Amino acid sequence: MTASATTKVRLDEPYHRPLLIEGAEDLASVTNRVCGVVERPKPPRAWYIAITISGSMTLMLGAMVVYLISTGVGVWGNNAPAFWGWDIVNFVFWVGIAHAGTLISAILFLLRQKWRTSINRAAEAMTLFAVCCAGMYPAVHVGRIWVAYWLFPVPNQMQMWPNFRSPLLWDVFAVSTYATVSALFWFMGLVPDLATLRDRATTKLKRVLYGFFALGWRGSARHWQRFERAYLLLAALATPLVLSVHSVVSFDFAVSQVSGWHTTIFPPYFVAGAIFSGFAMVVTVMVPARELFGLKELVTLRHLENMNKVILATGSMVGLAYATEFFIAWYGGNPYERFTFVNRAFGPYAWAYWIMIFCNVVVPQFFWSKRIRTNLWLMVVVAILVNVGMWFERFVIIVTSLARTYLPSSWGYFKPTWVDVCTFAGTIGLFFTLFLLFCRFLPMVAIAEVKTVLPAAHAHKENGHE
Amino acid sequence: MSSLIREPSDVSRRRFLQVMGASMALASASGCHWETEEILPFQRRPEGRVPGTTRRFATSIECSGVAASLLVTSYDGRPIKIEGNPLHPLDRGAASARSQAAILDLYDPDHSRGLVQAFEGASYPRSWKEFDPWFAGHMAQVRARKGAGLRILSEPSSSLALASLRTRLAELHPQARWVEWEPCARTNKIAGSKLAFGRALRVQPRIEQVNTLVCLDADLFGLHPAALANARAFAARRRPEEAQPLRLWVVESSLSLTGAAADQRLALRDEQILPFLLALEARLAGGKAADGLFLESLADELLAQRGAALIAVGPRQPAAVHALAHRINANLGNTGKTLLYSEESDPAGVMELGELAREMEAGAVETLVVLGGNPVYDAPCELEFRRALRHVPLALHLSHYRDETSRACTWHLPRAHALESWGDCASWDGTRCLQQPLIDPIFPRRTPLELLGAICEAKLGAPELVRACVAPGASDEQWKKILHDGFVEGSAARPVEAALASFSVPAPAPRALAKELRNGELELVFAPDRNLYDGRSANNSWLQETPDAITKMTWGNAAIFAAETAAALGVEDSTLVKLKLGTRELEVAATVLPGQATGSITLHLGHGRSAAGLVGGLEQENIETVGFDAYRLRSSDALDRAGSLEVMPTGKSWQLARTTDPAVTDSIGRKQMEGLVEELARVRTLADFRKEPGSERESEHESLWNKPVAEGVRWGMAIDLNSCIGCNACALACQAENNVPVVGREQVIRGREMSWIRIDRYFTGPERSPRVRFQPLTCQHCESAPCEEVCPVAATMHSAEGLNDMVYNRCIGTRYCANNCPFKVRRFNYFNYHKAIEAEGAEVQRMLYNPEVTIRHRGVMEKCTFCVQRIQAAKIHAKNEGRAPADGEIVTACQQTCPTQAIVFGDLADPKSRVARLHAESRGYAMLAELNIGPRTTYLEKLVNPHPALEEHDG
Repeated sequence: MTASATTKVRLDEPYHRPLLIEGAEDLASVTNRVCGVVERPKPPRAWYIAITISGSMTLMLGAMVVYLISTGVGVWGNNAPAFWGWDIVNFVFWVGIAHAGTLISAILFLLRQKWRTSINRAAEAMTLFAVCCAGMYPAVHVGRIWVAYWLFPVPNQMQMWPNFRSPLLWDVFAVSTYATVSALFWFMGLVPDLATLRDRATTKLKRVLYGFFALGWRGSARHWQRFERAYLLLAALATPLVLSVHSVVSFDFAVSQVSGWHTTIFPPYFVAGAIFSGFAMVVTVMVPARELFGLKELVTLRHLENMNKVILATGSMVGLAYATEFFIAWYGGNPYERFTFVNRAFGPYAWAYWIMIFCNVVVPQFFWSKRIRTNLWLMVVVAILVNVGMWFERFVIIVTSLARTYLPSSWGYFKPTWVDVCTFAGTIGLFFTLFLLFCRFLPMVAIAEVKTVLPAAHAHKENGHE
Repeated sequence: MSSLIREPSDVSRRRFLQVMGASMALASASGCHWETEEILPFQRRPEGRVPGTTRRFATSIECSGVAASLLVTSYDGRPIKIEGNPLHPLDRGAASARSQAAILDLYDPDHSRGLVQAFEGASYPRSWKEFDPWFAGHMAQVRARKGAGLRILSEPSSSLALASLRTRLAELHPQARWVEWEPCARTNKIAGSKLAFGRALRVQPRIEQVNTLVCLDADLFGLHPAALANARAFAARRRPEEAQPLRLWVVESSLSLTGAAADQRLALRDEQILPFLLALEARLAGGKAADGLFLESLADELLAQRGAALIAVGPRQPAAVHALAHRINANLGNTGKTLLYSEESDPAGVMELGELAREMEAGAVETLVVLGGNPVYDAPCELEFRRALRHVPLALHLSHYRDETSRACTWHLPRAHALESWGDCASWDGTRCLQQPLIDPIFPRRTPLELLGAICEAKLGAPELVRACVAPGASDEQWKKILHDGFVEGSAARPVEAALASFSVPAPAPRALAKELRNGELELVFAPDRNLYDGRSANNSWLQETPDAITKMTWGNAAIFAAETAAALGVEDSTLVKLKLGTRELEVAATVLPGQATGSITLHLGHGRSAAGLVGGLEQENIETVGFDAYRLRSSDALDRAGSLEVMPTGKSWQLARTTDPAVTDSIGRKQMEGLVEELARVRTLADFRKEPGSERESEHESLWNKPVAEGVRWGMAIDLNSCIGCNACALACQAENNVPVVGREQVIRGREMSWIRIDRYFTGPERSPRVRFQPLTCQHCESAPCEEVCPVAATMHSAEGLNDMVYNRCIGTRYCANNCPFKVRRFNYFNYHKAIEAEGAEVQRMLYNPEVTIRHRGVMEKCTFCVQRIQAAKIHAKNEGRAPADGEIVTACQQTCPTQAIVFGDLADPKSRVARLHAESRGYAMLAELNIGPRTTYLEKLVNPHPALEEHDG
């Protein structure tokens, strides 16, 4: 029976658990397959093309940032009353993307969802890269970048502390903590695999570099015992962060008194939205990556389908949140808030609102159909649309609320400039550049972890796992 | 003209060295203009002079022959701020937006810095040293011919010194002629009084005596030369405690400041005001003209208020309307009670511009001296003044800027700014005002008095001449007092008895009235711009960026259409249309505005300058012109309005730089706005208020925060919407006081204007007769300020006295505070808006800035501080005297200049202070108090007094 036929049968039988890893993989073949990607003398041609494009976009990002810093925030379209525009939209967008990785690694780890093992490494890497893109925005969007370090509670000659009442400050802590823990968690998981690469290295340079980062891993039982304990602890530490970081990001809005921002639903709504967009990004990236690097047996259709289910679930949550917001705006009886929501849906930004509704609420519903959910092309289309929709969600929340606040005399309309567009494109370039480099130089799949879910690791059990 | 100075076409090395040597020698001899002062440190400090403190001097500035009396603040010898003269009987400390903005011109890099001679198509810089001897020689030749071929073109002026020189000129050059031109002159008014009384008389309104004020196209509070005094008197008569409150009726074609303040307003085509007044007169005389409820009610009220009514007519209306109004006023017994007459200068004997232009074309003018003005730009278009100037072999233009006229003349002579000049002028009531220099001319510039003095070989220098004319025979002590006060006390013109002559005004043909909304039957009204006036202020970036009080437009003008007219003609807001008058065409932007009479299109003058400077447009250096030049359609026979306009939409769109409105084009936004405005800028009828004086106050909700405990003083503000007329004087005062930058058209379109105080303007009610609400908005210094909570670096904090302080050098520019400010009064420096003054060679521009206020760098937030520098200065002053600052001692810049005293600042903790009493007034309310932010500014409801019969009619 071929692998795909097995999958088909197994998928259709819910009482049978399908295999996590397909094909006749054994411990050695998994190592060979994953390390093979890194050890290939030359990456596929598509890799070169992709990195050329994304690399140039990254260079453009650099140019935009230099232009921004040397000239002033005015090169962007931010205005009065929309003092925040694409800068914060993109910040929240990227932070949202950054959610999937740690969620997959930490929460699913704690929940013993073994299917995560094939995708967690790549997803965590995406988390880090998305945090890089996200973190850049708050840093450069301030008016005086050269004193942005005042955001941190650094003892200084002015004897000034930051204002601990400001959600923006909480944001600084939340995002930096999240970035730190995610990086540690990711690196922790990498250590045994780096040691594998070190041991298989063919050149001195590779041996030294991989060896340095492998931190002297020898694979002894004591190493493994400590590794697993530490991994568990970090997972436990990262889990609340998954929920907290986007909750805190949402406080930037919820704690303010801008109508359309000032709502208590924001923390869960933002977290659901973040997972939604994060998973969509993982699907968007993993589908081509598994094709490109021949990892179809490790990252199976089942993984993708599971993620699509999460997209469906969180997409519905987001839809519910939209409805609740609208209902509360009406039920709450606050004329300003009511106006903000009516204005979103039917005012000058209605186009953005309906793009958001279509992409975030309507499109994921296609995943109720198994055929769509398991079709590679269609799932990529849906995932990309979800990403577009989530970008528009942040745009709708931030810009439409600000453009028309309390006093009609100060209403305005936000229009981005070319610098806004190029900067955003640049962050996309940065994200993919980092991801492509990751694919080339680090094991995309957690070798050690995948081995634990191979049938061989559970020889005494019928299907190879619990 | 062989004696013209040779142009340096071939400069040899020898010649160059000669010239260089000469200039070195001359340079050491130059620099004496008014009074030579040694620049040496004082061994003993003169009494009253403390380095680094400000001193104030009274002076005046003239516009259209009427003075504005000013008190100018000078810091270490450089004037930095213009305020109104508090001693002056009319201005009483207030200054208009335009007067205040004049300080910017003083330091404007475009303000002419030297002489320019045009020669065979090229221009060469010259100096007075070169000019003077040559000009003296030339004038000697002219004098030998008894002034034949000499023409002097001047703006009308009330200066006695100038008049005395004029007399001398007539003696010395009997064949010379004096010409006066001003695009927005009082010609119609004078003609009207001549028709009614047989002589030139000026109306002195006494609004404090008026119960029924009827303004027929008369902008008494906006463009009237005594607008400040009128507005002040009006506001006083509108206080709710007045037993007999004034009712203001306005009939006009386009919303003016006066129309915006009206209780009853009728939008009428400009040319229909005459028939309206004829019908009114007939009705008052007992006739039964059934011309609608408005006229009926107005007539009844006028009859009931005999002797307490006033009918005022605007300068745009033809003489007949003025004469009719004089007659009605006399017949109602208003003359002598609600208005007085005083002598008006009679321009009889002065040559008209048209005649001059014809002479010039004929080659009869050999020497033309243009004293100020800009006829090439603003003369009636059919005169082709630029072409006419080509026939004048020697044309000298003394002007502040090297403008259109300067560029068409053979010589441009730099004219001294009013703050650099000796002179005199009279205010509207005739009070003789003195103009004294606060600073030596920064560059070698001269005044008209000096130039004319040179022409007439005057014996006295300008200062002596002014003294001799203003205060002949005054002792040194008396003269010192005049210098101190800035005007001659008790010099106001005496009222004169005016005997009504008999005259008749023919009713216009019925055909002229039954006009339809179609091309050829539309009227085009030319109105001076509220900011730029006739165009003289076009290079003043403050005025360019101050939003027009009604349209809220900056940086440019647009033809104003009523919605109905626009719909009928297929014209849309923010598009370009072609206006056609006979053979003349002009492409202009169009805008749709409520309150505009249907079939009437208003276009503001003063825009579209092609040689104003780097701000207002300079074709030669490819600096785009700002706005559209209405003068290109304005001819001598239709200076005020033209009746057969054709409008053709072009379909091209045009972005108008408005500070409000453009976002509200959708029905949802409009509905919300109309609902909110009732809450935010409250208006009630006086009748309602008397029934139930308490205004609805939002109850505070329970707060999660600890309320700040206030000890000691709590600064606060009260703004009386009932007094505010939306004149923008406060905005300019703030701009000058607080070094508020100008950002330019593109940035305004992006919504990045920097004004610390803005005047929100809302229209409510029917499109044809909207209720206009003005609401000045500064930082409200909330008790529990939303901006303070969200700043991550604590750059905006509450001071112990309750001020919401902005710490510029702590600000990192996250802009979160501005997002969280419900009033949107915070301004962000998106760019370095002060780049121009950081440049090399901008030393003069830098002199403008108030040293007490930090200049904000790019990337920081800024906003109204309640003039914290003034608070500190007053506190220090009081502390030195061992006392606390008294109530009213601290005056913010906006409050200081407000002609209607709508703004009051003071200590809320002192229950006896004026501001605390206003806060407690029943009309008081705080905006958005339901947000629990505790704004420190209380607004007082506006009370309108509509006519009972028309009230429900209005809706």
